[in-house]
Amino acid sequence: MESIFQNLLLGFATVFTPTNLMYSFLGCLIGTMVGVLPGVGPLAGISMLLPTTFGLQPTSAIILLAGIYYGAMYGGSTTSILMRIPGEAASVITCIDGYAMARKGRAGPALSIAAIGSFIAGTLSVFGLMFLAPTLASFALGFGPPEYFCLLVCGLVVLSYMTGGSIVKNLAMICLGLLAGMIGIDQMSGYFRFSYGVTALGDGIGLVPVAVGLFGIAEILATAGSQDIREVLKPRLRDLLPSRQELKDSIGPIGRGTVLGFLIGIIPGSAHIISTFVAYAVERRLSKHPERFGEGAIEGVAGPESANNAASQGALVPMLALGVPTGAIPAVLLASLMVHGITPGPLFIKERPDIFWGLIASMYVGNTVLLILNLPMVGVFVNFLRIPYRILYPIILLFCLVGVYAVNSSIIDVVIMSVMGLLGYLLRKLDFETAPLVLGVVLAPIMEFSFRQALAMSGGMYVIFIERPISATFLGLALLMILLGLKPLFFKKKDWRERLTEAEKGG
Amino acid sequence: MTVDRVSGAFLVLLGLLVVWERRVLPLGTASRPGPGYVPLILALLLVIFGVILIAQGKGSKPLRSLSWDEAPHAAAILGCCLFISVLLETIGYRVTMLIVMGFLFGVMERIKWWLALMLTIGFSFGTFWLFDTLLRVPLPRGGWGF
Repeated sequence: MESIFQNLLLGFATVFTPTNLMYSFLGCLIGTMVGVLPGVGPLAGISMLLPTTFGLQPTSAIILLAGIYYGAMYGGSTTSILMRIPGEAASVITCIDGYAMARKGRAGPALSIAAIGSFIAGTLSVFGLMFLAPTLASFALGFGPPEYFCLLVCGLVVLSYMTGGSIVKNLAMICLGLLAGMIGIDQMSGYFRFSYGVTALGDGIGLVPVAVGLFGIAEILATAGSQDIREVLKPRLRDLLPSRQELKDSIGPIGRGTVLGFLIGIIPGSAHIISTFVAYAVERRLSKHPERFGEGAIEGVAGPESANNAASQGALVPMLALGVPTGAIPAVLLASLMVHGITPGPLFIKERPDIFWGLIASMYVGNTVLLILNLPMVGVFVNFLRIPYRILYPIILLFCLVGVYAVNSSIIDVVIMSVMGLLGYLLRKLDFETAPLVLGVVLAPIMEFSFRQALAMSGGMYVIFIERPISATFLGLALLMILLGLKPLFFKKKDWRERLTEAEKGG
Repeated sequence: MTVDRVSGAFLVLLGLLVVWERRVLPLGTASRPGPGYVPLILALLLVIFGVILIAQGKGSKPLRSLSWDEAPHAAAILGCCLFISVLLETIGYRVTMLIVMGFLFGVMERIKWWLALMLTIGFSFGTFWLFDTLLRVPLPRGGWGF
């Protein structure tokens, strides 16, 4: 316990430099803008801005990128409340009661409760991350190649189950991502694989062009040309503060949302989205007046918004402690750390305490910055919503291009981004999820390496994966998820995953 | 023809293509897997998932129900990406972006000419200044150093 607080002091010493404080502020500001603007998700935002961090110290870079990540989670609520358009998928559920409150002239309290809830949840979750990540990392130090391979299999299968949509399609996307991740030089034999003589593909296809293509360009292709003119409700800033009753009603939902969000956030998949649904359902179930939900109940804003922010911090636990990202956004954060020569995993916290604890401390700072930023500047962010999409998308396209080109100064990356954009557009049309594909690309090298090492260890005996208790447990869990995911093939009743998919599409 | 059946057929074809392309990579043995070992397993899994989708895809939505209203815009944007890929390093970032942004704002979106001009010049030169000059991320200058 004492060492944790000593380390946290080290973290604060790292963060409390004018430069790092500025990057924390800048990250939160950009993140909020990314979250506010429909069509620019946190993933595309982080990927596009990754090259701007190349010249920075690793600590400053990760502070900036993490700021964008949780800033986007904050910002997403603004459009949900004022326009009934979720700025990002995790804010879908906030649309229901947040917009109803805005219609009744209570946009200010809805926005401020979303900000306060997000602040409390974010801060408390950092506390959880602080204790859980080092413990998990120590546990994972005993993992050998079979355990690591089974952990990755389990993570990917859980992701395909939790993402929503067809589990068969999600598993196919993982395989496709893993295959794409194997393009380039095989690290064990030195063979060029599937690169067709293109030398630039030797290092593989790179996560940034894949992520920007699948999430940034595909979104532009799917939405450009739409002539939607939406009404933006203007919040009355003098009515920003919630009433005493509204504050009292929000305390419980914020607490429950924080715990639920953090725990669900650790699980792979659309955790931050799922956590909002669970938090909303719990609040409605616990409420003495469930009929108020949908008509502007403050609990329907406080619970999901807290859960969504807690989940975004929870998702960093496996990424930092095990080097295993649980979703596409942590995957891009992982890749950005790797660009700076840092490999998250069990040894990361021990070897680079300055970066780990600096990141933790920056989250405390970032959450405070976001609270200060979101409330007084809500009027400024609302003005972003008035920019027509036909003006916005060419600008987003330009930033996508610069972001991708600047990673390696390679035109091949621009070509990969364009191809991935087209692929992402077609996959959306055919009801495929693209997040499992991105994760496949990231995890392909480490997964193949562990698999081949494990087989070499056992002399080619596959039984090694089931005779070791930890790997057998992971495989058992993966099998259970596959069986649960295949249930809809045999039973026609709608399960929660189908409802999640419908809600995501509706958003 | 349904969406899932078309998707399944695509996956089967892709899987078979990978199986075919993998033949130049040594497979190795189970105790010493070669560079072609894992790609082969993944390609076979793709084929299996494709077959499952074809088999269960009867009830999914019909392919002709998909709306392609945004396709002309999408094609134009992809054309811009292709243009950028071919010419960015030859004519330089600023000229390429002037053409692309001018086309998107002025021709595709038909916004007021003065606004299109302002946005085109502002963003083409502004982002060059931001990334290349300020953040020192090198962007291509083209044959004549501009």
